[in-house]
Amino acid sequence: MHELGIANSILEAVQTELRLHPGASAVKIGVNVGPLAGVERDSLAFCFEAITQGTPFAGLVLDLREGAADELQLSYLELEEPTHDDDHHRAVGAQGPERERSPGC
Amino acid sequence: MPLERKVLSENDRLAAELRAEFAKQGVRALNLISSPGSGKTALLERTLAAFDPGKRVAVLTGDIQTDADARRLQRYGFPVRQITTAGACHLDARMVTKALEGWDLAQLDLLFIENVGNLVCPTSYDLGEAAKIVLLSVPEGEEKPLKYPGIFFKSKLMVLTKIDLLPYVPFRLEEAIANARSVQPGIEILQVSTTSGEGLGAWMDWVQRR
Repeated sequence: MHELGIANSILEAVQTELRLHPGASAVKIGVNVGPLAGVERDSLAFCFEAITQGTPFAGLVLDLREGAADELQLSYLELEEPTHDDDHHRAVGAQGPERERSPGC
Repeated sequence: MPLERKVLSENDRLAAELRAEFAKQGVRALNLISSPGSGKTALLERTLAAFDPGKRVAVLTGDIQTDADARRLQRYGFPVRQITTAGACHLDARMVTKALEGWDLAQLDLLFIENVGNLVCPTSYDLGEAAKIVLLSVPEGEEKPLKYPGIFFKSKLMVLTKIDLLPYVPFRLEEAIANARSVQPGIEILQVSTTSGEGLGAWMDWVQRR
């Protein structure tokens, strides 16, 4: 239900980080979800895939981990830094279009 | 690289601003959460009806559609605003901030925020409230605290509503209380009926506690 809003917030956090690391691309984002967070993991994974599909963030891996109690926390972001002989054409682009904020459900 | 910040950090930031403003203006904000039909609006109706006309109280009421609840609550003469979320299953801090625009919080002591009817989604969104209050109506069944532990974990108070129906439905009251306490041992519990009026005195005392 509200997992789409959560997925959007995660993606926004990734975009914020990428702005601090020009040229880098995001590979994997780790999120801790506690059993009392009120967040359904399968639904969150589904929503995250749905909002990234067809965007430069398609393929960005969402790594959902068991958190404590009501924890809902970003844990880590794996970035791929640009290299001289790789114009990171495979990876997820940092210059993705700004996403519209979707309604929360 | 490590991030270690909350997923809903933007909401939490706005909620912290709201909480600071409520504290500064001396407003006790209470966030009411339950499934649809548990009696949030009915409880607020009885609450507003019991206040003196000079009581410094206001209500924000959230729904996906319609302003039916606001119209029900406006009859009692206190400021009431509807927040229509147009699809979202919860209120967030931004909606509350926006809904409060134009209200002088210095004129208020108590603010009720009636969340969208839902036991799951509102759990994650801090609204700057002093306390979350979860309502559980007798017909819903005593297992709800185990099925939806998040909201029972985060609430300061559980209000068991519609207790006048206890003789008619197979609701095990002691088990409901034990279930809530198994999720959160410190949760306070009140039992009310807006039909018979039972328990409303204790409820009125609780909401006006400073």
